[in-house]
Amino acid sequence: MTRTRPGPVTLRRELSPKSDSDAVDATLAASGDPHAFERLYRGHIGRVHSLARRMLGEEDADEAVQDVFVRAWEKLGTFRGESAFGTWLHRLAINVMLGRRERRGIQRQRFLENEDVLDMVPGRRSQPETAMDMETAIGELPDGARQIFVLHDVEGYRHEEIAEMLGLATGTSKSQLHRARMALRRQLDR
Amino acid sequence: MSDQWTDRLSEYLDGDLEGPERTELEAHLETCPACSETLNGLRRIVIRARSLDDRPPARDLWAGVAERIGAPVQARPLAPRRRIAFSLPQLLAAGIALAVFSGGTAWLLHPDAAGVAVNQPLLLPADVPATNIGAASPRNYDSAVEDLERVLVEGRGRLDTVTVRVLEQNLAIIDQALEQARRAVAADSANAYLNTHLAETMRRKIDLLRQAAALVSAVS
Repeated sequence: MTRTRPGPVTLRRELSPKSDSDAVDATLAASGDPHAFERLYRGHIGRVHSLARRMLGEEDADEAVQDVFVRAWEKLGTFRGESAFGTWLHRLAINVMLGRRERRGIQRQRFLENEDVLDMVPGRRSQPETAMDMETAIGELPDGARQIFVLHDVEGYRHEEIAEMLGLATGTSKSQLHRARMALRRQLDR
Repeated sequence: MSDQWTDRLSEYLDGDLEGPERTELEAHLETCPACSETLNGLRRIVIRARSLDDRPPARDLWAGVAERIGAPVQARPLAPRRRIAFSLPQLLAAGIALAVFSGGTAWLLHPDAAGVAVNQPLLLPADVPATNIGAASPRNYDSAVEDLERVLVEGRGRLDTVTVRVLEQNLAIIDQALEQARRAVAADSANAYLNTHLAETMRRKIDLLRQAAALVSAVS
């Protein structure tokens, strides 16, 4: 039997260095130029909105994204160009989205409560007779597991980083990720 | 079907399982088709997750953002910013111009292909002002640009219209980039990256003007 040797997951979404123009626009925007900020918005809206859809669901994504860019506008003075603007924005976006999650009352305990729910995920299929795409399947995961899956497998964060962001033990992040993957496999592989 | 190893498969897949446990799991996989199949399924999930595409929202959200930050809302989305890039016709025209330039006047070649040694004076024909650009006080730079622009203006009648158009378009693009870079430096003068970016953009303009001036001389 041949197997592909596993390797550590790396941050696949290391942002593309279109940062030349981004750095200039970020500086202009920080000095109050809204047109420069609009260029930044248009350059990054797809990625931020996709993150929001996956983290929070379609219904909350638009509002969350607007919150992200408003917060970015307010915080531009703290961007010093040490990382790509996209990296800075992405981390800020995650913080905003996690803050929304907390305000919605999804507390740390929810991650633990989700453990049993995860095993039941296939039974939650809304369209059992149709093929389910990956985005839809992710959207059907319970909140906590979904966020860990998105942060780890889609966005490329490490368990240690995720645990810090979410205030969890690293082991909880690992076990939730495994259960999320197993649930998705059951959804998508049949 | 699951066994004691099933819950460790993600750790194994992510390279988080080390030492004896890893060895034991690999031995187990050799004899357990169910775990092997599960592992392959998990691997497919990870691959699919990593290949998800981003897509923008169904409706433009900029108006809502602009309203909240007090920015003017435009009727139409901004066109993408022009970048220093050349269309195919521009490249063709520039290529022809450069080929003529290179073939006939090799002695006029740029002193440093990497564009680093901009401090060296150019070897130019008598009617092209020799300039020491890189010593680069702003006054020297402006003076060098003025000299080279004057050569271009005076000699543009000797160049074909396509070449003149390409040169002028490219100069306009560089001037736009220069303006943006200057504004950025003005807003954050201590930012080393922005200063370097501005210097490089200035050098691009000088390089283009040098080539233009040399081209004028070559066809004189």
